Amino acid sequence: MTAVSGEQNRRWHWRSLRVRILLATLLWVALGIGGIWYSATRLFAKHVEASYHDELKVHIKELAGLVKVEPDGTLRMDRPLSDPRYLVPLSGFYWQVSLEGHETIRSASMTRGSLDESVAHDSTIHHHVEKGPSGPTITYGFIRDVPGAGEVHYVIATDERLLDETIASFTRELTVWLIALACALVATGFLVVTFGLRPLDRLASATARLRAGTARELEGDYPTEIAPLVADLNAFIDRSRETVARARVEAGNLAHALRTPLAVITDEAERLAQTERTSRSAQTLLEQSQIMVQQIEYQLARARSGASARSPGMASRIEEVLPPILSAMHRLHAGKTFAVHQPEGLDTAVPVDPVDLSELLAILLDNAGKWGRSEVSIGMEEAPEGLLVRIADDGPGLAAEQAAEAFRIGTRFDPGIPGSGLGLAIAKDIAVAYGMTIELCPRGDGRSGLEVRLTISRA
Amino acid sequence: MRLLLVEDDEQLAARLSDRLRGADFAVDVARSREEGEAWPDMDKMAAVVLDLGLPDGTGMDLLKYWRQRKVDCPILILTARGSWQDKVEGLNAGADDFVVKPVRFEELLARLHALLRRQSGHRDTWIEEAGIRLDPVARDVQCDGEPLALSKQEFRLLNLFIRRPGQILSQADIGEHLYDLDSHRDLNAVEVLVSRLRRKIGAERIRTVRGLGYRFGK
Repeated sequence: MTAVSGEQNRRWHWRSLRVRILLATLLWVALGIGGIWYSATRLFAKHVEASYHDELKVHIKELAGLVKVEPDGTLRMDRPLSDPRYLVPLSGFYWQVSLEGHETIRSASMTRGSLDESVAHDSTIHHHVEKGPSGPTITYGFIRDVPGAGEVHYVIATDERLLDETIASFTRELTVWLIALACALVATGFLVVTFGLRPLDRLASATARLRAGTARELEGDYPTEIAPLVADLNAFIDRSRETVARARVEAGNLAHALRTPLAVITDEAERLAQTERTSRSAQTLLEQSQIMVQQIEYQLARARSGASARSPGMASRIEEVLPPILSAMHRLHAGKTFAVHQPEGLDTAVPVDPVDLSELLAILLDNAGKWGRSEVSIGMEEAPEGLLVRIADDGPGLAAEQAAEAFRIGTRFDPGIPGSGLGLAIAKDIAVAYGMTIELCPRGDGRSGLEVRLTISRA
Repeated sequence: MRLLLVEDDEQLAARLSDRLRGADFAVDVARSREEGEAWPDMDKMAAVVLDLGLPDGTGMDLLKYWRQRKVDCPILILTARGSWQDKVEGLNAGADDFVVKPVRFEELLARLHALLRRQSGHRDTWIEEAGIRLDPVARDVQCDGEPLALSKQEFRLLNLFIRRPGQILSQADIGEHLYDLDSHRDLNAVEVLVSRLRRKIGAERIRTVRGLGYRFGK
């Protein structure tokens, strides 16, 4: 996985602030818009229905006013209803007036069928839904008693679909607008989250750079809400760095304070060893001094690297750390070549303190220089776990069981070669403190010799 | 051969110089950076053993001071500071080797001789010239394949000659290389010493160059 996709994944993880705010916005918009939609459609339907009822009541009253009953009981209308929809065939607006025993008159729109007169059963206007000429209708009716003629049934109806279509049309239009509004609100929410959380993204990138070793502090300008936090973190990093530096100086002072008296003790023991009477005691002194020296060196190295490894903002580049070490190696191992193979464009920045990285590489290179016959090669390449550094010598190599022992304190495979037997143990400790992996194995190119593979994680 | 030991710890300096003298070196001791910078005849030193922790400055600064002034003898850093940061800095400042205290004297001696061999272009532990084979570490001398017993001063003189085959060394040169500053340098004693050595290895191996000094080699 690349760093970019990893960053993207973190950004859209369900526990991220961004996703939480967006989900909350989404929920709020859904509830709000849903509520508006529900109440608006209900209100509109109620309003439209009330308007229909009022309008039809007006129509039926107008109808009652226009219909005349002739003395012979014939029903007659001098002029049509003012609403022209009663004239259009099957328009959905119908009326019907009847007088028992006489011809029923109907609106011009009602070219077929008839209206159920049962709704007109008293002088009060009633309404209900009935089957009409062009589908279910809302029918209104009442009876007026005409003296000398009898009960005239006035019925007026309108297709229920017209009301439904009006409500549905409004609901459709409202839904479209509300969906558009919801989208706009969600988009605005997304923009607000993106813009608002951008400083946190920058902070995350700065932290990643700090972790990857490409920056020594949190870089960048931040809004006033975050700036104090960043300043505090940078101050903390500085303090940690100073603490590590002070610890190193104190470790060096302690080493100096202990080693010089130990040098005197060692010298005295060596002198005593030359006398037969005291040689056994001298040997004990020498052995114990050696153990003390090993412990001092090992524990101080551990303390140094342990303190650095727990501190943030540790960064170094191998290409910057390596040259002085190689120069020193050329002096220490005169006549041997140290060849560096670094692919062009390879980023060698690692989140390791430069002093610890120098210590680690110097131990490994010195070890390779001691064992190599004529050449030590240093290769670097990108590996899935991080930066892989291979240090190979052309020496005798190690058997598998020796390789397993090599990282133990005091292990020396050839007492004739100068050394304390601590180098690889310290190297291993530094590596472990920084989460690196270090292994000894035969050379990868098939030649005789030993290869140390050091994998340094970028994060 | 003369050797300068720069060490501020009095007891350690006394012990080391004592043992180095026992290993046929003429040893001078400086106890501070100032003393080291003011040392009058650095060009006569075969090597320097330098402590990094000095009371008036770091040995690293002294090392750089000498190298800037073309002091080219091998310099071995002997220090209580064992980190590679110090080692790398010291080696890149011009040191030839680095030994961390405490060190077994045999190892220190072996490192010193290795530096001296490297300086004189010899790769082996022994040096062979004009039929003489000399092992400075084992203090073993063979002349035409036969073991040869030499006194401490004779061994020192032969060790000086054998590293400079064909070079003319005056009595003063020999005195400066064989004796430390505190010793009384009697030129007659040098002449007597050369005569004694000639008798043991053969007069033809050390020739007198009239008015100039002596030349070793067949």
